[in-house]
Order: sequence, then structure tokens, then C-alpha cells
Amino acid sequence: MVRFKHRYLLCEVVSDDPRCRLTLEDRVLGTLVRDTIARVHGTFGAAACSIGFAVRYLNAYTGIVLLRCRKEFYRLVWSALPFITYLENKGHRYLCFLNTLHVGGTIRTCQKFLIQYNRRQLLTLLQNCTDEGEREAIQKSVTKSCLLEEESAGEELSDSGGEEAAEPME
Amino acid sequence: MPRAKARPSRGPSLASLQRGLRPTGRLRGLSATTCADRMRLASGGREISGGTVLTQSRCDQHWKKMPAPATTYERIVYKNPSEYHYMKVRLEFQDCGVALNAAQFKQLLVSALKDLFGEVDAALPLDVLTYEEKTLSAILRICSSGLVKLWSSLTLLGSYKGKNCAFRVIQVSPFLLALSGNSRELVLN
Repeated sequence: MVRFKHRYLLCEVVSDDPRCRLTLEDRVLGTLVRDTIARVHGTFGAAACSIGFAVRYLNAYTGIVLLRCRKEFYRLVWSALPFITYLENKGHRYLCFLNTLHVGGTIRTCQKFLIQYNRRQLLTLLQNCTDEGEREAIQKSVTKSCLLEEESAGEELSDSGGEEAAEPME
Repeated sequence: MPRAKARPSRGPSLASLQRGLRPTGRLRGLSATTCADRMRLASGGREISGGTVLTQSRCDQHWKKMPAPATTYERIVYKNPSEYHYMKVRLEFQDCGVALNAAQFKQLLVSALKDLFGEVDAALPLDVLTYEEKTLSAILRICSSGLVKLWSSLTLLGSYKGKNCAFRVIQVSPFLLALSGNSRELVLN
């Protein structure tokens, strides 16, 4: 059918500074990405990518960002992401970079990938954990997410609203 | 009553095999499962044990596997005969008396590309092969994938240091030799 097709880029903001993620805002990040595209791909790139561009989801605790762009120009956006080197907010500049985790055609596929990715991240966190209290908390989250995973594998593909509760926050 | 000409039956048509229908007639009972094998069977191949299909090669009429050729050769076919495109351009200013040297000319070209297509395409391998300062004309070389971008950025370049200017593209060719003569400049005696 005739409709506008989009690509959703799931990215993670990686930074040394722990305060960087807390100052993430969707408007700030949106303007940052647009300016970077204008610098890297010129007037043509800026115009082409900004038609369907939006920041769809932003998690300040985990630093996960979901960007939307048109399907014809998603490569321009994707190739401009490595050129983002810092995040500027309220006069403070934090060095960071965007790591692209997944490119999907719909929000739902990106969400499914994010759930699996978070489960794997939990397990790696458990291994690298030093504090006992943290370890217990992470183990509880891991078992809860495993139970939810078995539930959803047994049932039909239900609404993923229940699984969102299993997404942990650091 | 005239009868229709009897056509020899050739078994199931290739089209029906491609559609995935079950093989009938001659092909019934054979175990060739892949579509390619079935097509080879339908075009006159013979099945041997193990499910592989041999086709009769044109050079030898015997039903045996084609031996590997003693010498291997490689044939390279270019869709586009040349990697580079050459452009003959001239820069025209609205007012006279503007002079550019070769470095400033190249800087102008790169800044035009950067303006329209960004830093990534400003780094396209662009060469100014010849430059004449008096007439402000030059021959440029660009890789074939970047020709459209260069030409469109030259079209949209409007000014240099505040003075209005325009690029006139005189000739474009994938071969440098073609730029040596222009049939439009020929004079009839």
C-alpha cells in the first residue's frame, strides 16, 4: 500500500561522565543530530533527513535513544551518527558517542530487540558486579525477567506492555 | 476437416515446474528436489543416483561429467568504461576584473561541494587538471560516482566573496581525449 515508510535507529549514548545521561533531553538531542547531519551531509542532507525526523523514545537512565527517519534517507542519518562527539546542555559539555544497536522498520521490532539486549546486559552486569547489595538486586531482576520470558514464550504474542516492566533501570 | 498440427509432447512445461507443481509423466518418481534440478531434467537432463542431474553439454555428446578446464581465464566486463569523468568548465563573473589563482579556484569548487553535500562529499577526489587564469577555464577530473554531485553543486554556486558568478559547463566526457576537440567550435570554411 502507499504509505510513508520509516526506519527506526536504536542507539545508546555512551559516555565516561555519569552526569551526561541524566542531562539527555529529546529536543536537545534532536537539534544535535540535525546540526551534525547538516555539517556532514550539507544542505541536501539536512533537508532530506529532517522531513520525517523525530526522537521517538529516550531513556535517561540507560541512555537509549530511538530515532526515526524516512526509509530513503536512513543511511545519511546513520552515517552522521559517528560524527557526534559531545553533548552540550546548560553550558556543560560532555564527551560522548552514539552507539547504534539496531535498525528496524517499526517501533515494535526495536522494542523486541531492546528487551533481549537488556536481558543480556543484565547478565554481563551480574558478572562484573562488585557490591553485594547490587548483586542481589541484579539477581532478582534477572530471575524476574526470565520468568516473564518463559511466560511470553508460552503464550501467544501478547501486548508487550507487561514486558516493559521487566526493563531494568540502572 | 483440417487437423491441428500435432506438437510433440515435451513433458511438463518449465513454467509449471517453476510454479512448483508435482512432476508428472517422464519426471514422476525421480528424486530431483531442487527447482534447478527439475528445470535441468525438463530441458533434457538425466538423473543419476544421488539426486544430481547431468545435462548434455554441447561439445561432447557423451553422457559424462564435463572435465574441469586446464586453464582458467577470467573475463571482466565493465559497464562503465571509465572510472573518471572529465569536465571542461568556465567561471563567469558578473563584473570583470576578478582574478583567481589555481588554489583559490580549487578552494571554490570544494566549498561549493561542502555547501550542498557536506564534509563527506567535499572530500571527493577532485582534481583540477588544467587551469587558465586569463579565461578562468579549467578541466576537472572527478570519479564517476561523484559527477552528479559535483555538477549540481557547480550549478547552485552563486557567489564568490560577495561577487556574483556562475559556472558554465562546456563539455563533459568519460574520456579525456574527447575534450581536446569540440565539434561546436569547428569553423566551416
